[in-house]
Amino acid sequence: MHLLRRIAMSLAISVFLMAPAHAQDASLQDILQTHAEEIADPSRRTVGETLDALVATGHPDLPEFLTRWQSREAWQRDADGLFVYIEDEDADPLVLLDISTGETVGEAGSREVTQLRPNGGVRRVIGGALVQFQLGAEDPAARLDALEAIGNDPDESHLPLIEARLEVEEDPAIHARLDVLLPALLIAFAEDDADRVAAIQTLDGNVSLDARATLNRVLATRRFVGAELPADTNVAAILSPGTGPLPRDEAYAMLVSAELAPARISREDQRAVLAANVVEGRVGGVPVATLNTEAARDTAYAALVAEGLAEPIPTEADVDAALAAHVFFDAYSEPSSIVTEAARATLDNIETRVGAYRFFDLSLDGISLASIYFLAAIGLAITFGVMGVINMAHGEFIMIGAYTGYVVQTLIADYTLSIAVALPLAFLVTFALGVLMERSVIRWLYHRPLETLLATFGISIALQQIVRQIFGTQARPFTPPDWLAGSVTINDVISISSIRIAIFLLGVIFFIALWLILNRTRLGLEVRAVTQNPAMAASMGINPDRINMLTFGLGSGIAGIAGVAIGLFAQVVPDMGSNYIVQSFMTVVVGGVGNVFGTLVGASMIGGLQKSIEWFNPTNTLAAQTYMILFVILFIQFRPRGIIALRGRAAGD
Amino acid sequence: MKKLLLTSALALASANAASAEIRIGILHSLTGTMAISETTLRDVMLMLIEQQNAAGGLLGEEIVPVVVDPASDWPLFAERARELLTVHEVDVIFGAWTSVSRKSVLPVIEELNGLMFYPVQYEGEESSRNVFYTGAAPNQQAIPAVDYFLEELGVETFALLGTDYVYPRTTNRILEQYLLDAGIPQENIFVNYTPFGHSDWSSIVADVQALGEGGQQVGVISTINGDANIGFYNELAAAGIEADDIPVVAFSVGEEELAGLDTGPLVGHLAAWNYFQSADTPENEEFIAAWHEFIGDENRPTNDPMEAHYIGFNMWVQAVEATGTTDVDAVREAMYGLEVPNLTGGTAIMLPNHHLAKPVLIGEIEADGQFSIISQTDPVPGDAWTDFLPESAILVSDWPGLDCGMYNTETDTCVQIESNY
Amino acid sequence: MSIFTQNRSVRIFIGILVLFTLGVTVMSEAYGTGAISVSFTKVLGMTLCLCLAALAMDLVWGYCGILSLGHFAFFGLGGYGIGMWLMTARTEAVVRANLAGGVIPPTEAEVSQATALQIFSVVGAEDWPWMWAASDSLFLSLVLIVAVPGLLALVFGWLAFRSRVTGVYLSILTQAMTLALSLYLFQNDTGLRGNNGLSGLQNIPGAEAIGQDRISIWFFWASAVALGLAYVAAAWLISSKFGNIIRGIRDDEQRVRFLGYRVESYKLFVFTLTGILCGIAGALYYPQAGIINPDEIAPIASIYLAVWVAIGGRGRLYGAVIGAAVVSLLSTYFTGGRAPDIALGAFRIEWVDWWPVLLGLGFVLVTLFAPKGLGGLVDYVVRKDRA
Repeated sequence: MHLLRRIAMSLAISVFLMAPAHAQDASLQDILQTHAEEIADPSRRTVGETLDALVATGHPDLPEFLTRWQSREAWQRDADGLFVYIEDEDADPLVLLDISTGETVGEAGSREVTQLRPNGGVRRVIGGALVQFQLGAEDPAARLDALEAIGNDPDESHLPLIEARLEVEEDPAIHARLDVLLPALLIAFAEDDADRVAAIQTLDGNVSLDARATLNRVLATRRFVGAELPADTNVAAILSPGTGPLPRDEAYAMLVSAELAPARISREDQRAVLAANVVEGRVGGVPVATLNTEAARDTAYAALVAEGLAEPIPTEADVDAALAAHVFFDAYSEPSSIVTEAARATLDNIETRVGAYRFFDLSLDGISLASIYFLAAIGLAITFGVMGVINMAHGEFIMIGAYTGYVVQTLIADYTLSIAVALPLAFLVTFALGVLMERSVIRWLYHRPLETLLATFGISIALQQIVRQIFGTQARPFTPPDWLAGSVTINDVISISSIRIAIFLLGVIFFIALWLILNRTRLGLEVRAVTQNPAMAASMGINPDRINMLTFGLGSGIAGIAGVAIGLFAQVVPDMGSNYIVQSFMTVVVGGVGNVFGTLVGASMIGGLQKSIEWFNPTNTLAAQTYMILFVILFIQFRPRGIIALRGRAAGD
Repeated sequence: MKKLLLTSALALASANAASAEIRIGILHSLTGTMAISETTLRDVMLMLIEQQNAAGGLLGEEIVPVVVDPASDWPLFAERARELLTVHEVDVIFGAWTSVSRKSVLPVIEELNGLMFYPVQYEGEESSRNVFYTGAAPNQQAIPAVDYFLEELGVETFALLGTDYVYPRTTNRILEQYLLDAGIPQENIFVNYTPFGHSDWSSIVADVQALGEGGQQVGVISTINGDANIGFYNELAAAGIEADDIPVVAFSVGEEELAGLDTGPLVGHLAAWNYFQSADTPENEEFIAAWHEFIGDENRPTNDPMEAHYIGFNMWVQAVEATGTTDVDAVREAMYGLEVPNLTGGTAIMLPNHHLAKPVLIGEIEADGQFSIISQTDPVPGDAWTDFLPESAILVSDWPGLDCGMYNTETDTCVQIESNY
Repeated sequence: MSIFTQNRSVRIFIGILVLFTLGVTVMSEAYGTGAISVSFTKVLGMTLCLCLAALAMDLVWGYCGILSLGHFAFFGLGGYGIGMWLMTARTEAVVRANLAGGVIPPTEAEVSQATALQIFSVVGAEDWPWMWAASDSLFLSLVLIVAVPGLLALVFGWLAFRSRVTGVYLSILTQAMTLALSLYLFQNDTGLRGNNGLSGLQNIPGAEAIGQDRISIWFFWASAVALGLAYVAAAWLISSKFGNIIRGIRDDEQRVRFLGYRVESYKLFVFTLTGILCGIAGALYYPQAGIINPDEIAPIASIYLAVWVAIGGRGRLYGAVIGAAVVSLLSTYFTGGRAPDIALGAFRIEWVDWWPVLLGLGFVLVTLFAPKGLGGLVDYVVRKDRA
């Protein structure tokens, strides 16, 4: 049926291309009206027939209509069911255009016409019918669509088209797609096994999803059980029950469902049988009241079996014997073993490569996660690491930075410009807040570090609630500009979103800048002097008050900038800061307090570790986080001062 | 300190001495993490009550709303429910959102024989004598959506992504079994759970993308909750995955959620609900207009749980009018078989298992944060115990007939009359 | 009990506690006028448990100088301990009653299997996780309530103190501990029902016929007794030589070490003891709350515990109790919707919304201007008395 339809369609299409004048007798509108219902409300499974019928008419206006229908640019007038195009969707009233002539046929309010909305499945089928017209289209996107459609539903008739296209195609992306599609079609439709093997071999080393999908289709298997191995099947693997991919119970269940062995009686079945055979308060001679142990039930059941009232339960030995008497195997749907072997070898080769790429991709993810942790923690590395102030409101500075970004975006429409404004503005806002906090609260508590924790915690919940009052509890949209929205894709395995690269770069810039500030500037020298020995520093003419204020402001300001970056890729909500606070403290502590480099190492370790745990257990992100924290707890036991521990006087107490 | 305790105790007691008007308790979080969703439901209840009072009240009495704040804190839900029933002596409660909060309220409401309307789609596997579930059970949301994937989109490889809590877990367990029954092999079903508010989606999106290497159409069934969706859709978009490549159908993304995000990357992805604001009926138009007037903001969307409260409230009013009393047992008996119009056309019917029969809608996300409805089924009766898990398939709930919410049809016994919490 | 004769504050505290308990009883629904509703009785009982946890926090922080930001983990573990028994026993009773209706009497294995299915079907499991092994015995469960928090505190403390993790580092480490525990419990397949937690804990097995009005007051009494006993014990402990040593550790750890004391052992003892106290408090708290889930032990809960102690005044036992009682009851009052809103023309101040802001700023003010907390006010009064 399917194949017939295909042939009919390609025939129809050749008719089309050769004799366009042939079908002018009826207007497209009339043709469509005969299928009006199916066009207005199509279903993936049935639309194919309608399309065949339409294509068979060979009407020259049809490709245009199909394209518009597919992209949801066709409408139907409710009053009389007329199919129309619309000049401008936002106009009121809408101007209706004829589908053949493009002339205005009337006007309608938005409620008087219905947009034709084929769903994704239907659109793919329409795409299949459009292949012929799109493959030679000017627009590369249309050509790619056509190739997509062929990939979704390949057909023998496509083979010459693809071969012809490959000769003339110049667009490299499309060429790459063709390079995979041609072997895919050859593998599926070539007559000669040697041709098919050759096609398979051309895919060697190609890690694209399509190449792997093509090979996996060749290698699709089904599982069978039988008394012996059939001669004419292409066996992929013979399985021994009770090992690896085929657990014993599953194997026996296969036998049972193939009616090759009697079913095992579960405890529940046994109970049901017993319940059905109660005679005068006894089952098989055993009083019902005593049937509350498994032993008693077995006795009663055995009695029933002896009387022929119940099926005997297969013993473990019976099960083993039945399993041993049968062969379990996976067989390829593809009959030719030469083809499957070639495909297997090629795929194994590709998979090795994919494995390596995937490791690389995961490493990229790890680096990206590490840079996010680093960014979240770096402000803390200054306020906590250098100054020793436990700022529980650090997360709220990140949050305020993100909200600053959001507010700027509501004022400045251009996303790129708004981010360029938001970054320094977020710094200024949180710098000011930090200075304010330092002057009003923290400076009174330098000799009581644990109480700073409580006071800043109070500030943290107050800030969170104030922001919630102003902006509401709902997440706020903070959108990256287009040039940050995509991703850098090396191949189908390795890709990383641009925003993550930007965050990584921002982390690097921060690291270098801070390192320079702390180690190469007068301010850095004074900061280090004040944190090591305030009294001595003061007597050297440094104003410790001023230095503390600036340092704290710097740390807070950096948290604000980090907030802009984090807000771009995560969600902007009032409690977003609390997601980062414990992690950030751990990052600083693991890395070693008192230097920016330690924070970098700490973030790399935590991020890398979390990703490697996910590598082993990809379905449970929560577990990865738990084990990561446990690891950190244990790690600190053994290196209480972190990875990069300061020695000597610089270590302070 | 003792004085303080005494005064607050007295304050509590004095609230008791109220007149005989009809009282409706509203038990939705106004602070904490759930406030984002639940505050709207408080508002919609206040609106419905105001409308009813304007139309002459109920049984000639004025309806008085009693609003309390359980603050997204699960133990507080139980505490506040007890207060509502014993101190404020409300006739009915409309409330709760998360399953945990409902499970927290259940023992209290069953002990004191209260009545609650629960408006949110949930995982099923429950039917309490004292609760009417006006949201969707899995067979009223998840199963039709999967059917749509199988039938209309031809999806053969499924990624079930969810936030790690009971609703996604149970729904995915049901769906997994359903897909296996539909002939999808186990290796074509990828399941992943992430914590609340998860933001690091790149590896998971890569995993989903890699599912395509099997050569089959991949589809994502998302039970990802709340804010985590933002990161997820952004990462999908960044990876260049469009709805035509890998469609995503979400069960927890509605108009309210979309309002907080840049819808650009989401356009074309799907959601399944029993109600969309874009439903084109006169009832809905009227409801939206009334809502905008009540809340004073033209941009506040309406959503599925709001419709659930609308249906629940109207049903309760009808039942009270029919019996002439607010007595819980009488009202409960009168509820079965009641029919009220829903907002998407047609009527919702209260079934003996305390669930509704409602149509299921599938909508495509549009750039303006609304859904365009691309599929609407006939009313689907809500199933308290799913048919797709062996241990639940043998259970039924039939309060008027069997007086049992968890009845084992194999042994013909009532497993338990109080709920399983 | 010479502690009573020597220590005036203990006498006063116990006196107030007894009066308070009697007062609540007289006004309760079960045994008195009914002026205090069942729900408020539960609030008061739960507040007493929080006071007990704060007392423990005061011992470990106020007296020994270890600012633990993870003590609520122990509190939660106690709750999970009692919760497992409550759920198992109640569900088993239901299951037995149901299975008894069948034709064939159930085997023990069937009862156990059906009970497990009832409890764990919500997370998609049907087998007993290993940690529920003791849940069918009340006695073993009570042992676990003490043993599990104690053991966790012991192991954690041993590791931390041994490697001399102190001060801020220890605070962050304890915070990480409670975060790890709550994330672990949040996972659905770890055996404690994930995010659902354990619920229906207010229904006491074997006491189905007894109303919540009486159960609530019983738990209130139990909480009051536990708090009273713990208070006396803590007062005795800190007035002994041991108390002097741990205060010495708080003030200058090195000096005490140079005096020849094994500082780590003292710290470990206090850390473990207070962990156990928190476990007991949790075991009393959650049957009154009715539900426990991993949210309860999120890091913020432990920070609040420290804040209560700071506000009440650390380094004095009654300070911790005052702090916990005042802050948690005020929070209940302001978020319970009972406080009247303040209308300022077009703008309304709703307490529900602004209470967290006031609370947060309150912490700052107390830290800055009243480092001795509310308990410091007592000093003021007492000194005036004597003057």
